[in-house]
Amino acid sequence: MTLLHGLRVVVFADGLTDLGARMLSGLGANVVLAGETGERTPAQGQAWLSDLREAGPGEALATLLDGADIFLDGRRRRAAATDDPRDGRPRLIHVVANADNLRDLPVTDLTLMAASGLMTVIGEPDRPPLRLPGEQAYALTGIQVATAALMGLAARRRTGQGQRIDVSAVQSATLANYREAVMYAWTGRSGRRKGNLLVRGKSGVRQVWPCADGHVTWSMIDNPGMMRAVVAKMAEQGMAGELADVAWDAILVADTDQDVIERWQGLVAAFFAAHDKATLGRWSLDEGWGLSPIATLDEVRNSAHLAARGFWREVPDGQGGTTRLPGPLFLVHPAPGAASEEAAE
Amino acid sequence: MGALDGIRIADFSWVGAGPRATKDLADNGAQVIKIESRKRLDLGRRSPPFANGDAKNPDASAFFAQTNTSKWSATINLSDPRGVEVAKRLVEWADVVVENFGPGYMERIGLGYPVLAAINPGIILASVSVAGRTGPMAGFRGYGNSAAAHSGHAAMSGWPASDPHMPPFAYGDVVAPMFLTVAILSALESRARTGEGCHVDVSQIEPMVHVIADLFAADATEKPGNSDPRMAPHGVYPCAGRDAWIAIAAETEADWQSLCDVLGAGAMATDRSFATREARLRNATALDAEIAALTAAQDRHDLAGRLTAAGVPAAAVLDGRDLAESADLHASGHFVSVDHPVLGPSDMPAPPMRMSATPHAVGPSPCLGQHNEAVFRDILGMEAREIEALAAEGVLA
Repeated sequence: MTLLHGLRVVVFADGLTDLGARMLSGLGANVVLAGETGERTPAQGQAWLSDLREAGPGEALATLLDGADIFLDGRRRRAAATDDPRDGRPRLIHVVANADNLRDLPVTDLTLMAASGLMTVIGEPDRPPLRLPGEQAYALTGIQVATAALMGLAARRRTGQGQRIDVSAVQSATLANYREAVMYAWTGRSGRRKGNLLVRGKSGVRQVWPCADGHVTWSMIDNPGMMRAVVAKMAEQGMAGELADVAWDAILVADTDQDVIERWQGLVAAFFAAHDKATLGRWSLDEGWGLSPIATLDEVRNSAHLAARGFWREVPDGQGGTTRLPGPLFLVHPAPGAASEEAAE
Repeated sequence: MGALDGIRIADFSWVGAGPRATKDLADNGAQVIKIESRKRLDLGRRSPPFANGDAKNPDASAFFAQTNTSKWSATINLSDPRGVEVAKRLVEWADVVVENFGPGYMERIGLGYPVLAAINPGIILASVSVAGRTGPMAGFRGYGNSAAAHSGHAAMSGWPASDPHMPPFAYGDVVAPMFLTVAILSALESRARTGEGCHVDVSQIEPMVHVIADLFAADATEKPGNSDPRMAPHGVYPCAGRDAWIAIAAETEADWQSLCDVLGAGAMATDRSFATREARLRNATALDAEIAALTAAQDRHDLAGRLTAAGVPAAAVLDGRDLAESADLHASGHFVSVDHPVLGPSDMPAPPMRMSATPHAVGPSPCLGQHNEAVFRDILGMEAREIEALAAEGVLA
């Protein structure tokens, strides 16, 4: 992808800036890794930094910045970072990834997730709060870092000037929590961990179901067309029971008593348990059920859909082999520059 | 002056995945006109919580309000061909068209990318959908949580050795719009250089894979839970009070020493089982039990304050109330008070960045059709008589 071809980016990587640098590189920018702090596993290094060109021994940060459009500055424990890279470089867009824009806090992905409020609703009611897989607070901050850089670039096109942009990791993580603060502000209720139960209105519905060879996700929600489609297939298989007689347009699942929901869900559970992920997934795709097979990482790697979209790339693993990692961030049609090339032919 | 002053967005998107991206753009100065209809109300306007519990008022949803700050609203019924013709005039005006309809909808109503590009050759069409617009699953109809299932997130969420886990929020509806914002901004940058528009096609599944690329690189088979391969302690520990917890991570040897000092953990500090990082990782279960015993009677906020002052990464685990009432989040500008005609003065989330030269400005979300006159008369140059007639016939509604 070459939307940003020719753009020169320097990054000091520390976790908070990593995905941002990877994204700009994936969009065609020339991204140079000037330094890094924090310890990464080999897999983290491969996932986030392997696309970047490492600065050579003679390439001091100041020299790199002289030729740069953007500096992604992740010197998270930044006692030494008192210089202003924009001195003498007024067009430079200096994106600083801070733990917090109020003060210099020691943070990690885990503590940022705790501050976001998300952990309180992730996991089981009888166990401690849980984070999302991977390092999502770092990832969310990284995407905001890329966004900030592109915002700065758009502004520079108009003004001719760069600027300093401070991105807050605490705010980036908290922004992902789109439900809890607003629900408390307007209802006085704070969410808690409910396992795989989705609670809406007076009832809770399951989100995860065992099937013949794994799990699928689907919920009994107020979408009459979807409910009719699922129940029609259950009836075809002789497994609909009392669900065949429910007038889905006339009821609200969210207002239905929990014991009735449990009875209905028992029928659905038996139906799903009798079929495998591939069959249920195919029916869902064909008939609009909104059901998804829950894929393992290996199944994601081997997804025919993602392969057809050219999603994967093979990245050297440093031991003579390769690792299959995500490639394009999104698809672009026509490819950048295609129209002008066509005109030239 | 905002970073995106002068950028024009015709926003056909609804609910969460599209509107979160156009909020980013609108808060930073782009003129975003949300095209919606009373005939097919944005489900976001029907999403709780509501001011005064008024679920029937399309302007009372606080969920909608926080997702659509700083935008305008114009009502066009796209199921009427005359509505589509009006929409085409907005396409002519716009730099970017954003949509997240079901598969094939834009083509069916005559607003597919080739049509848009014929109207406005520089137009950028930005689409976001669960599985993207191409590939065997392009016709899939699902939700933000569908992307968690198809990307490996659900399989890797939860405690080790447990079933897949689905938290009660759609993380795919968070990550995908952020990628959409990056897609739109990079397409605008490309157009500024080449003069060419394009169609950017964002799938919700793919960003969800990108953000766990490290797990794919590690070929992970077990769920990580709260653990980290480089750090111990690294977990969540009980504090005084109901469902009160603190997250603590010792990233360095200095962090470990400071943690022991703050907790007054003389025995733990000298225990050979915990003397090195490798030993702590090996004995993580016992270590977690020791720390939990030391944190259990402490106030989570007070302890987090003492630990961070000593340089140890730590944070109280917050809930919705903590966030809504957080003095820090208000002081940092995460929440800004915005006056809304139905909700009144309300806290709205702002972009998580401070731009020194082009600061963002968060305005209220629009009431349904609030800007019809400004859009149809002032921007599109339509005659008052035509506007009235089309409104009366349900076309501009």
